[in-house]
Amino acid sequence: MKLHDQFRTGWRNLSRQKLRSGLTIFAIVVGAVSVTVMLSLVTSAKSFLTSSFQKTGEDRRVIVTPTPGLDYRESTWANWTDGSGVKLTDEMVTRLAAIPGVRHATPLTSFGYFDSVEAGTTVLTLKNTNMVAYEPNGTITRDVAAGRQLEPGDDGIGIVISTDVANNLGFRGAYDSALGSPITLTPRKDMGNQTNKAPVTLTVVGVITTDGAQMEVTLNSARTFIPTFEQCTGGGQNTQPTCTSQNDLDRNGYASVYLDVDSTKHVDAVVIAAQKLSVGVAAGKDEIANQEQTFTVIGAVLGGIGAIALFVAAIGVINTMVMATLERTREIGIMRAIGATKRTIRRLFTVEAGVLGFLGGVLGVAVSFGVAALLNSILNRQLAENGVTARDVISVPAGLALLVIAVTTGIGMLAGRLPARRAANLDPVEALRHE
Amino acid sequence: MALIECTGLTKTYRLGDEVVKALDGVTLTIEAGDFVAIAGPSGSGKSTLANVIGGLDRPDSGQVVVDGMNLATARDKQLSAYRNSHVGFVFQSFNLQVHETALENVISPLVIGGVGRKKERRRAGLAALEKVGLADRAHHRPTQLSGGQRQRVAIARALVNNPSVVIADEPTGNLDSARGVEVMEELARLNREDGITLIVITHDTGVAERATRVLTIVDGKVTERVGGR
Repeated sequence: MKLHDQFRTGWRNLSRQKLRSGLTIFAIVVGAVSVTVMLSLVTSAKSFLTSSFQKTGEDRRVIVTPTPGLDYRESTWANWTDGSGVKLTDEMVTRLAAIPGVRHATPLTSFGYFDSVEAGTTVLTLKNTNMVAYEPNGTITRDVAAGRQLEPGDDGIGIVISTDVANNLGFRGAYDSALGSPITLTPRKDMGNQTNKAPVTLTVVGVITTDGAQMEVTLNSARTFIPTFEQCTGGGQNTQPTCTSQNDLDRNGYASVYLDVDSTKHVDAVVIAAQKLSVGVAAGKDEIANQEQTFTVIGAVLGGIGAIALFVAAIGVINTMVMATLERTREIGIMRAIGATKRTIRRLFTVEAGVLGFLGGVLGVAVSFGVAALLNSILNRQLAENGVTARDVISVPAGLALLVIAVTTGIGMLAGRLPARRAANLDPVEALRHE
Repeated sequence: MALIECTGLTKTYRLGDEVVKALDGVTLTIEAGDFVAIAGPSGSGKSTLANVIGGLDRPDSGQVVVDGMNLATARDKQLSAYRNSHVGFVFQSFNLQVHETALENVISPLVIGGVGRKKERRRAGLAALEKVGLADRAHHRPTQLSGGQRQRVAIARALVNNPSVVIADEPTGNLDSARGVEVMEELARLNREDGITLIVITHDTGVAERATRVLTIVDGKVTERVGGR
């Protein structure tokens, strides 16, 4: 029997039992969709993570902190220093910059000298707002919702705010209108012998999508309003204490230093070299690897759930095909009488089961594309609201789609084997007598 | 040269505790162009003999030689090819595929044998239906045909591959006598005009009388008398 005749016969036999075939295919569709969507979510999350890390250069970034033991994620938020650990001085920054492979060593500091921020008539207290200062030399990159990130020309002029701050200042959903707005920062009054207590006014040059409330200025801007503390020692009834005044930044050192490594290949060597300076070191590359591993585990679990759904669908195929062989016993007898070999009968049923699997796979993949599109339309709106430029984050990889179709077809054929063999081994004389 | 040579065929069945000898040392020869009637009471082994000769069943011992091939030991593939291209079966209960049209039923041996293209199959199928006078019923399903018409469709199916032998197992058993006579005339004509070897299993003496040879089988043993036509 020719192959296309087998397919035609298989297709006809399936369409004779539309409801049953339909339900069996539906079960495969459910399995195929769960596998495809779950694995697509995981691969999409992975590639979104990797691409966003690559876009911001974080895969080449090494963060140095005063104390060892912080991982990458922690070191990005633990940028407050109380002076403990190794003090990250300008000299240390120079030494870090001298490590082979390091393009830039960018110090970053964080401070809390301000009480409130004012834009127009809106006044916010700055309790949970992170104020960050760094040298804008391209090492530290931000995902920008409007405007741009800090540039060297922003010294004493420009400020970048996060979407959270922009929302609270009344620019929700219209971040462009925040650009150019003057922002006035009022210093805290409770900072002891702080010398500089005048309000500072800066202009918003960008809105960034950093998590949480954050405002950023250049390191040179920060130096102009970082307070100086007087420290006095000695002094008694008759003697004057000796007082030295020291800039807060000089006193505590930087919170962290961001190293921009020229290539991801050199990151490991840079990490080892930096660790020799007894500082804390964390690489973005390792963070990517960690997160990817997490996603792989999640993917395995979700894929496993999908695989169970597919397994159940395979049982459905077996059931359908066993029913078919029982119902068609006499037909099988007739086919044998007019010359069908055992092999032909076996193939007919295997092809039929394979067609069930194939259709289930194709429909399942089609539905998965639909689900991905639906999720994207929901997600795109949310991304837009949060000022993230990325769109259509979830995608079904073509390779996965083809693999799912191949697997469901294979599962169908495998599930059809047992009933097919049963059909092929029927005694034709007995089968013809079957009522 | 003999078309079919059976030597020492035995076949036993077990029905509960009882052992039934369906074939008990059957030896016979069928020549090309013979019209052989196999008669005998029910359960005597008529159908078993027909099935063994048609390659649908295998004997426990003995051999059936057709064109130098021993059907008793042939592989499934060879045996299936033999049934497909050398034998045409006509059954008492027609055994048509009910979901297929008359034409589709008729060409099914060609489809299974992988013979010809769609157009050629169609032509051959229509020619076979023409031969049994049912060309105008080609696209009817078996359920839309009368019993006599169904059996003629089955005959057309048996003929479509130009077989050397047609084996009809009680072909008139499910028909009224008038339709039965028609069907038997059809088969006899094929034997007479086209020289097709015909083996008819029957317990109808009227049918047996048309044959050139009548084999009577009782308890698995065959006796022959030469019929008069």
